[in-house]
Amino acid sequence: MSAVLDQPEPATIAASLRGIAKSYSHFQLHDVNLEFTTGTVNGLIGPNGAGKSTIMRILMGLVQPDRGAVAVLGQRISSSEAIAKQEVGYFSEDMRLYKAETLAFHMQFVRSLYPGWDEAYARQLLDRFGLIAQQKVKGLSQGQRVKALLLLILARRPKLLILDEPTNGLDPVAKQEVLSELMQTVQDETRTIIYSSHHTQDVEQICDTITFIDRGRVIASDNRDEFLHRWRRFRLQAPGDWVAPEIAGLRKESVFGNLRVMTIDRYQPQVEDWLQSSGATLESSAALSLEEIFVAAVTRGREECHQ
Amino acid sequence: MNARAIQILFLKDLFLSRWPLFGYLVGGLLSVLATCLPGEAMEFIAFIMMITVTIAAGIHLIGVLLLAESVDMTRTFVMSLPVSLLDYSLAKLAVVLVAFLIPWLAMLASLTVLVFILPEAKPGVLPFLVMMFLFLLAGFCLQLVTAIITESVGWTIVVVVLGNVLLNLFLKTLNDQPVISSLAQSETLTWPPLVQKIMTGEVVVILVALGIALLFQLRRRDLV
Repeated sequence: MSAVLDQPEPATIAASLRGIAKSYSHFQLHDVNLEFTTGTVNGLIGPNGAGKSTIMRILMGLVQPDRGAVAVLGQRISSSEAIAKQEVGYFSEDMRLYKAETLAFHMQFVRSLYPGWDEAYARQLLDRFGLIAQQKVKGLSQGQRVKALLLLILARRPKLLILDEPTNGLDPVAKQEVLSELMQTVQDETRTIIYSSHHTQDVEQICDTITFIDRGRVIASDNRDEFLHRWRRFRLQAPGDWVAPEIAGLRKESVFGNLRVMTIDRYQPQVEDWLQSSGATLESSAALSLEEIFVAAVTRGREECHQ
Repeated sequence: MNARAIQILFLKDLFLSRWPLFGYLVGGLLSVLATCLPGEAMEFIAFIMMITVTIAAGIHLIGVLLLAESVDMTRTFVMSLPVSLLDYSLAKLAVVLVAFLIPWLAMLASLTVLVFILPEAKPGVLPFLVMMFLFLLAGFCLQLVTAIITESVGWTIVVVVLGNVLLNLFLKTLNDQPVISSLAQSETLTWPPLVQKIMTGEVVVILVALGIALLFQLRRRDLV
């Protein structure tokens, strides 16, 4: 394992976590293995307290894992965090600016640490987000605070953005502005975003890959389209003595008299034929929303943990 | 270690503490000036004011520069920037210490000047003043270690209170020493061996406390 951990990351991997574990008194992160490909938007979805923030803090070197290795932009985060962070922008919902100071003070402070600070872009963002540089942080609304932090991050032109619940507490208009700006950022294919949220709609809107996390475990991780394609729900009428064919990836089956609702992972087009030929009448076959997939995956994951 | 990052963090914190720092500097200098006012009672009040300003400056600056960063969650913001734990720790220790030393030194330096220029002042009192100010500095360093280790306002206040009690005992013990009490009336400035020993002990406490503070900060595994 250590030999694997010591291997350098290929340039196509923006960040990776290998065999990461972390224990707190009331929470454990279990053996997390994740890779984030350069130029992609990666969503981490999980309920509150699932471990998303801990994973992101470990990626930033703010929390040291008990086991495992973390690499960010080719740097081992434990030994060279400052170097790696030069190219990383991190947002956390519990991150605060100095409330007695102005946004201009913060811009000046961050600019002094980043030679690559893009002042013209910062001015554009001020304008686009409707922020006033001379305004004190304590006078900012929640939405303005999030936008101010994003301005301070985006104007550095980071190669990797680690965003922990950036749209929490935002009104729909502010949320859309933030998401649009993030989408603009990743038009440059060298930039990567790791984005956590428990709002599946946001993640579905912007992410290329999605990872579900629950109770400190990664329960599923895949390409978004693949997720949406492979999960399916069938409603069918079947007599009481009907014997369901063997379907790989059957995650849930509910029976209401003759009505059966089957949710499957690993959908294949032949499944409809198998169901029809088994004597059932297929009423509908529908793709699941990401939220439904998430709930099904979490429920299944918890059941598997209990078994 | 990134010297530029340390410098930027140091200047940022010094700027953030500018108003309390200014207040304690002015308060400290006013209390020193109050020693020039006539009357023994005024002299006593000025002495108490000096001690009060120094202790208040210590606890306030530790609160503003150290504990507030954890409570207000601004540390996450700072540590998301390209600074290492070593950069952050060195900058933080340096700025808290320097911020405290600004009013501390201003008071001690102005007292030293007054001791030599005021006709009624006795230069022999200077060792006593230096020992007292070093004691206050040592107490501040112990508060700093407590704040770094516990990140708790409560525990830091406990150390402040203990420091105050010990200060009274310390001053009384000094006064009970004939070698030291006689200095206050001396027209000449001398540094007897006992004074030198006490000052060395105070400097050792200061250095050990700062060393422990830095060591503990660097061994921290989780910053948020």
